[in-house]
Amino acid sequence: MYESFEDRLKFRKKILIVDDELINREMLANIIGNDYEALTAEDGNQALDVMIRYHDTLSLVLLDLLMPVMDGYELLSVMKNDANLSRIPVIVLTSEVSAEVKSLNMGAADFIPKPFDAPEVILARIRKTIQLHENINILSATQYDELTSLFNREFFMEYAVVIDQYYPDVKMDAVVLDINRFHAINEMNGRAYGDEILRRVGSAIKEYVRANSGIGCRYNADSFYIYIPHSDTPDILDFITERVQEKMDDAQNRLRIGIYPDVDRNIEIARRFDRALLACTSIRGNFSENTAYYNEKMHEDEAFAERLMSDMEKGLSDNQFIVYYQPKFAIQDGDPYLTSAEALIRWKHPELGMVSPGRFIPVFEKNGMIRKLDRFVWKEAASQVRKWEDKFGITIPVSVNVSRIDMMDRGFVGLITDIVNSAGIGPDGYMIEVTESAYTDDSDKLIEVVNRLRALGFRIEMDDFGTGYSSLNMLSALPVDVLKLDMRFIRNIHTNPKDLRMVQLVMEIAEYLNMTVVAEGVEYKEQYELLKEAGVQVIQGYYFSKPVPPEEFEVFIKERIEHDNNTSS
Amino acid sequence: MITTQALKELGCNTEEGLSRCLNNEAFYLRLVPAALEETRYRSLDEKIGAGDLKGAFEDAHSLKGVLANLSLTPLYEVVSQIAELLRAETDTDYRPLLDKMWDIKGKFDELI
Repeated sequence: MYESFEDRLKFRKKILIVDDELINREMLANIIGNDYEALTAEDGNQALDVMIRYHDTLSLVLLDLLMPVMDGYELLSVMKNDANLSRIPVIVLTSEVSAEVKSLNMGAADFIPKPFDAPEVILARIRKTIQLHENINILSATQYDELTSLFNREFFMEYAVVIDQYYPDVKMDAVVLDINRFHAINEMNGRAYGDEILRRVGSAIKEYVRANSGIGCRYNADSFYIYIPHSDTPDILDFITERVQEKMDDAQNRLRIGIYPDVDRNIEIARRFDRALLACTSIRGNFSENTAYYNEKMHEDEAFAERLMSDMEKGLSDNQFIVYYQPKFAIQDGDPYLTSAEALIRWKHPELGMVSPGRFIPVFEKNGMIRKLDRFVWKEAASQVRKWEDKFGITIPVSVNVSRIDMMDRGFVGLITDIVNSAGIGPDGYMIEVTESAYTDDSDKLIEVVNRLRALGFRIEMDDFGTGYSSLNMLSALPVDVLKLDMRFIRNIHTNPKDLRMVQLVMEIAEYLNMTVVAEGVEYKEQYELLKEAGVQVIQGYYFSKPVPPEEFEVFIKERIEHDNNTSS
Repeated sequence: MITTQALKELGCNTEEGLSRCLNNEAFYLRLVPAALEETRYRSLDEKIGAGDLKGAFEDAHSLKGVLANLSLTPLYEVVSQIAELLRAETDTDYRPLLDKMWDIKGKFDELI
């Protein structure tokens, strides 16, 4: 469609004149001949042949109504029902007023009376009609997704609003369909295959929504939105799976849908689809379930998340966010003693009470507010290290959590340096924890940042080690000082010998690479003892202490000073 | 040799007809004989004679359109009268009108 539009811009536009009278054809061809390329046909059948041949470059049809073989009305109706031909505008040639009305009703764009008007009037009408329809076609070229020819997302949302306006009493469902691990399909089979799958899904959706009075669009790479009258027993997934299966035999496992049934018309369209999407992502990676509904629990979570988002700014300015510190103890050198701490954010909400970071961090990660919160923690932790130095004359290094996105920030190294400098502490008082999964994307860039930080004297800890997919090869290339064993590793070491063996293996690797190992999430004495025996140098967890506010943390500093005094004396 | 002047003298609005041909006189004068082709008029006459008023109407209607476009006014007027009667499938004696048509057509034919 787009190409033909380009063609029409480049070449003299073609107009088909359909009239059984040679004289009329010749006169019209003569009138338009200077501006357009005239094609002629003497009846409807001939006209149809020409139209089919030139359907994508024909700008207009001038159509006589009374003709033998196939008359103008019949031709109009054939055109109207053909996707290619229906976009070609038609001007009807007629001497009858009643015929004018009838043909306009049948889709004609305009009419030219017989006997013909003055040529300039005819040319003006032709020009106007073509121009108008080109605009419509530009519009229609841009309202479809090129690959699937479903609506694009903007038009989909517009049309959804129109559906709401015209059918205010029809119950509607918002449906999101996506393809599990589509990028893997692309990687394994090539882009062309991936595109073919998307096209098939698109055409199945088109078929389905046509039959069910709905609309559909490709929302982004591999997700599709569908707005459709409500069904208690939706069959859309089966319908699409069946049509895609021929090309993708594991379609049943790959396609999944989230449904927000019987949408609330009072919330805006985009949010209705957010809900369907939420349902859809709730079964992400779950190959045994392929349909999920937006439910009350999700609704509550959503409302809660919104509450958190709207309260965050005030929370920051009212000092509702507090940095807690969880002590880390060195255990291999006689009695355990405090070696450092991890800074952890807490939110003392005036109405909701203590909000778990497990609830607010994912929310703020999603909308980007986490950056602000992270910076708050980084500054707060640095100044706390300084306060303790001033008060106790000892440096207790504090580690802060840094996300992959933070690390990729161009100004990140500068920012950390500024924070440490303005707090008046050295890099030895500050440690940076990066999760293992952060290293999987664009690891070269990340390694470069880590190297710069280490060159400045900061120590780097790899957080959640054991949950990601670090290869041994990568591990040796990683410039980190500390491996932090993930809690899930520790949880069962006292009951599961395999888990314990894993820890022992990690210890061997760490020893070989000259890295310190920290075990976090340690709760029980048995865990502690096994870890100690395995050679883990540092322990963090409820076994020693939960994260505590700075005042309570001072107890551990005092113990450390006492410990130092005892060992030195 | 048919000329614009001669057509004008027969009562044709040649200015109008010519303007539809972008004032290309040669083009206009080439089209006029085609509009006077004998078979068209004979077909109309015969269909009326055979009582095929619907078919006759189609012929008359087409002819009327062509004559109007070329502004061959006298012939257009009589064919138009016939076409209007045929449109309503009026049961009348068409002979006098047909004769009149042939008569006027004869005058045009003399110009060719």
